[in-house]
Amino acid sequence: MDTTNGAAAQVAASAGNDGNPNANGSPPPSDSDGFKLKFSTVCASNQNRSMVAHLRLSQANYPVISFGTGSLVRLPGPSITQPNVYHFNKTSYDSIYKELESKDTRLYRANGVLNMVDRNRHVKWGPERWQDWQIGMPRLDKTQDRGSAGTEGGVVDVVITCEERCWDAVIDDLMARGAPLNRPVHVINVDIKDNHEEASVGGRAILDLANDLNAAAVEERKTVGANAFDTGNASARASFDERVPDILAAWQERWPHLPALWTLAWF
Amino acid sequence: MPAPQLSVSDQIRQLNDARKLVLGDVKYYSSVIKSILPIISPSAHIELRRWGVDFLAEAFATPAIPLGDKETLQPFILETLKDTLEDPGQDIQVLRSAIQAAASIYPLTLRWIINNSYDNMTWEHMTKIKARILQIWEKAEPSVRICCVKFAQRVVLAQSPVNPQEPRRGDSLDISLDKVPPNHQTLDVRTLEAEAAGLLDRILGGLQDHSSDALLVDAILNSLAILVRTRPNTVNRIFNAIFNFNPFKLANSPVTPRNRVLIKSMEKTTRMLLLHIAKRDPHSPLAQRIQQHVEGMMRMRSEILEEAGRKRALEAQSAGADAKRQRTQAPPANPEQLQVDPLPPGRHNLADVYTLSGGEGLKGFDISTVPAAMVAKINVSTLARINPQLLSKAVEGIKGRFAALAAMPIPELDPNTAPLGVDEDEDDDYEPDFFAAEDTEQILNKLDGQANDQPDVTELSLKSFKLPPPTPLTPEAALGGGQGSVLSLLEFVKTLEDVNKRPRSGINRLAAGSNDRESWIAIVTRLASRCSAEEGEISIKDEYSDSPAPAILGDSIRESLYTYVLEDFRRRIDVAITWLAEEWYNDRMQQKEGGHPRLHYEKWALKLIDGFSQYLHAQDKVLTRFLGEIPDLTAAIFSRVKLICRDPSVVPLALTSLLYVVMMRPPAKELALDTVQEIWQEYEEARPMAGKYLAKFRPAFLEAATRDAENNGTATSSTAVAAA
Repeated sequence: MDTTNGAAAQVAASAGNDGNPNANGSPPPSDSDGFKLKFSTVCASNQNRSMVAHLRLSQANYPVISFGTGSLVRLPGPSITQPNVYHFNKTSYDSIYKELESKDTRLYRANGVLNMVDRNRHVKWGPERWQDWQIGMPRLDKTQDRGSAGTEGGVVDVVITCEERCWDAVIDDLMARGAPLNRPVHVINVDIKDNHEEASVGGRAILDLANDLNAAAVEERKTVGANAFDTGNASARASFDERVPDILAAWQERWPHLPALWTLAWF
Repeated sequence: MPAPQLSVSDQIRQLNDARKLVLGDVKYYSSVIKSILPIISPSAHIELRRWGVDFLAEAFATPAIPLGDKETLQPFILETLKDTLEDPGQDIQVLRSAIQAAASIYPLTLRWIINNSYDNMTWEHMTKIKARILQIWEKAEPSVRICCVKFAQRVVLAQSPVNPQEPRRGDSLDISLDKVPPNHQTLDVRTLEAEAAGLLDRILGGLQDHSSDALLVDAILNSLAILVRTRPNTVNRIFNAIFNFNPFKLANSPVTPRNRVLIKSMEKTTRMLLLHIAKRDPHSPLAQRIQQHVEGMMRMRSEILEEAGRKRALEAQSAGADAKRQRTQAPPANPEQLQVDPLPPGRHNLADVYTLSGGEGLKGFDISTVPAAMVAKINVSTLARINPQLLSKAVEGIKGRFAALAAMPIPELDPNTAPLGVDEDEDDDYEPDFFAAEDTEQILNKLDGQANDQPDVTELSLKSFKLPPPTPLTPEAALGGGQGSVLSLLEFVKTLEDVNKRPRSGINRLAAGSNDRESWIAIVTRLASRCSAEEGEISIKDEYSDSPAPAILGDSIRESLYTYVLEDFRRRIDVAITWLAEEWYNDRMQQKEGGHPRLHYEKWALKLIDGFSQYLHAQDKVLTRFLGEIPDLTAAIFSRVKLICRDPSVVPLALTSLLYVVMMRPPAKELALDTVQEIWQEYEEARPMAGKYLAKFRPAFLEAATRDAENNGTATSSTAVAAA
């Protein structure tokens, strides 16, 4: 009986998610109108891993934007020395799709690149580069992107990178920017191999992490008042920021093959 | 302002709409901020308070609003912010956002006080805010404490001197101690500097006192980079603190999953900060120390988190990873023993070709786990010590192998089984900005990837490469570029202010004679005034095209200059005068050439006076100087001076300025006196003072006017009597 109820709840919840059938494995946030953490997903080319995660998080109604940290968007070409290379911020997924389709439909369908870009062009306009992102600039021009609702202010609460090199690039970039916004941001790496299968598993794992983080943040917002501060009440509940490492440690036990790394940085 | 009878959620919805509006058009910010202040008061609903303070924090953080606007906005909100922070039972989230907002505002307030030393009220509010935040810091919970740390970091940044040698990009955000004039009436440079030093010590103390609290440690480490880069007197203390910080303290307790996350986090964040600094200044004496420290930390890390370390080594071996760099290992010391065996038949990868030693263990060693700089060091010392005969023998041997391979027939490549490289992520997302040796490394990686191909020696020769031609430059793009360079030039000029007060060279100045503000301003003003010669042509061309008339470069530069002057008109009035002199000269030259040139002098002079007149206060000598020094005074300009007298508090200023003109600029004397006369007639409050001047210079007028006034007065009173 319990299982049936659980399944019904699952169906009801996924019906809430724009009726998307393959929403995810973990339960989406129950309070769909309430507080939501804002996420940014980051990989090298803003094509595969970050875009799977972007789609997953947006399907669960999280505000989400995504970036790549590479110097150029690189996609596999006919051989390893001839990758297809595009500029960030200037090329749309749609134009990439059309170009690859006209070049060699059979090849790019066989290696999965066309399917990937096709999916991406229904998520947002084009690949964006992390280093070119003007943090805190209003993003009102991106309302067509999935997951854009809630990211109008141009900032996020949590950045999730998909490879340690990207995490390094993000931290180095934030240090170079000099933290002018004075806003804390959790930067988490989830190491995912860059292929379609791993990206799909990684997307599920990232959503699982996002749900746990969001639950903690919602709980914190329900606590009203001064807590420990000034009243000296030591038994106060820990804040969201403090709970992030615990949440990540518990998550890591569930996903031992995706090594994680975390820091608290500044925008 | 939401009406009080609305429910909280309705109010929030309305507020969200207001926020969307300002995000779309920042010019509404100031009015929206002023109108939401009441919802932050302690009596307001908690959701409204949270929303309001979040909004403040966002507004003062966003780069969408120019810093000048934020600066003029901050005095209005400081009192509310102070009350919010001083509420002893304040909600934690409200507190956090309020401290974040204060951190963004602090440098703006300091800048405001530097330029408006009379505004004691604002500085008093900010001093109270600062004291309160530093007090909260003591016992706050971690998530609030990190915000206090960040606030303190902004104070240190604002109150420490910058490196005078460092060439700086124009960055007016960069408020630093050297912007404070030594004889400022409110701010004392030495007190500010001492406060900054104390706060820095308190921030760094957190690394020692809370070395197991990763949240706080990370927050501290991630805020230090900009201090090290731009505030040289903080460097030594910061490095002492980092080198004394031990991220592995937690390892003494059992390594639980949580501790593992914390240790990894603190170690990696420390490493990122050190590498970030070393990368930007690889030749500093600190760089070597950093290198040693980083290497030591990585050893500790792999010892403590050994399990992960072992796994990685296993993975590397099973992947048969890149043995390509083995050639950098020292070959056997004795040249007699070096035996270069010919390659066995079959396929070989590049690593095989270069492998001279037979040790399988060495072959399985993943050299990429060793930091690149260390590899480089080993390379250099090995190359320095190596026997030259041995080296040449080894090189010969490798050459021989290549020759043998080149002689072999090329194996046919089966297109169906050839790798497409879909999963090959090593190259496609390589970030070239990170390692100096990137290019060679990348080529080697690619060659390695072609494990099944025979190395083709002819392919290794350099090919000629031509850069693709640039896209043709459109007039619009050129205009945009010109505009951009003028803007950044002005930003740069701002950084030169106060740096050197040299004797001015006056009319003999040369554009760009030296790297100071005066000569750069000469360039910009001449760019603005002289390029007007092109205007005629541009507008003619445009009549035939459908596109809207492009902005004329000269005017857009003028607009930038205008903004530049007004941002800080008290200190930049000399720029305004220089500029107007150039415009006046240029107008004269154009008129000499005949035709109907567009004249600029009067238009911009009026605009400037309109711009700053609303901000004048009674002690401003700016107006006197402006009227005294601009090249030509016209009736229109005087009419603006008259308008200034609408504000009674600046009437004495306007009149003394006019008196100065009367005495010092004979050609404009009559016009100035006419203006005094008009002021006497139009503004009742100005009469006593204006009368004094008129009595001296135009006694006839004063007599006649006084008589008229009296007549009118008696006339009205007599009619009043008649009517009664």
